[in-house]
Amino acid sequence: MNTNTALANETEDLPGDFAIWIFILAEMLVFGVMFIVYAFTRASQVEVFNASQLTLSRGLGTLNTVILVTSSYFVVRAVSAIKLGNSRSSAWWLIGTILLGGLFVAVKLWEFNQKFSAGITLETNDFYMFYLTLTFFHLMHVLMGMIILACIIYKLRHGDYRAAEYTGVETGASFGPMLDLLWCVLFPLIYIIH
Amino acid sequence: MNTPLNRFATLIWLVLVILTIATFYIGERIVSGSAVMMSVLVISLIKGQLIANYFMGLRHIRWLWRGIILGYFVIVGGMVAVAYLI
Repeated sequence: MNTNTALANETEDLPGDFAIWIFILAEMLVFGVMFIVYAFTRASQVEVFNASQLTLSRGLGTLNTVILVTSSYFVVRAVSAIKLGNSRSSAWWLIGTILLGGLFVAVKLWEFNQKFSAGITLETNDFYMFYLTLTFFHLMHVLMGMIILACIIYKLRHGDYRAAEYTGVETGASFGPMLDLLWCVLFPLIYIIH
Repeated sequence: MNTPLNRFATLIWLVLVILTIATFYIGERIVSGSAVMMSVLVISLIKGQLIANYFMGLRHIRWLWRGIILGYFVIVGGMVAVAYLI
């Protein structure tokens, strides 16, 4: 059932296509297991994890968090715009989202480059193994989200979405904030808590 | 198109940025400790709820789905807390 007809005061169906929510839950489950495994692995190597964590830039981690939060906000504005029938404005908000995604990728690659330049690899210790694996896995999802949004922008430009039919925009738009949701746990876990 | 819903979304974005900066501040200025760890996890839970309800559009969805997201943060956050406290 399409959410377009749902009444705001009543219980609505999930935004977008149901299938994306199964995908989102599967992604959250995979990341959730990795977060828990990280925490319990740390329990047996607290000093190694704490010392390695201090080498990360909390400033860059925070910057990327703000970038992700802002990109989620842009997605919300894009959906809001198409609901009002303004596909041009919706496309611009999504272009802004992709640019922010590009900025996130650039910051993350710069951070990786710093670590690789310092001779840090997956095999340096367990903390760096988790840090590189989790953040790279998340980074791949950001790239995937950017591709999905690029497809939506293409369709918006060709008039495929309008105020009466915007399920496709909502479906793609649900994916972006999920990355933000996962980063909500990943950021404090890897960069902050010690 | 500065509708009330858009203004509300802007407010949520602002709150999320403030909570992010608060997390950074805790990481930069405050030494480790279980209270600090718990406060950071609670901030994460609040941020997760704001994102799920207002940015992912779950605010008016059946409780089951919102419960899954809340449960996710409680279970994952809870397990992380246990691992840090043992």
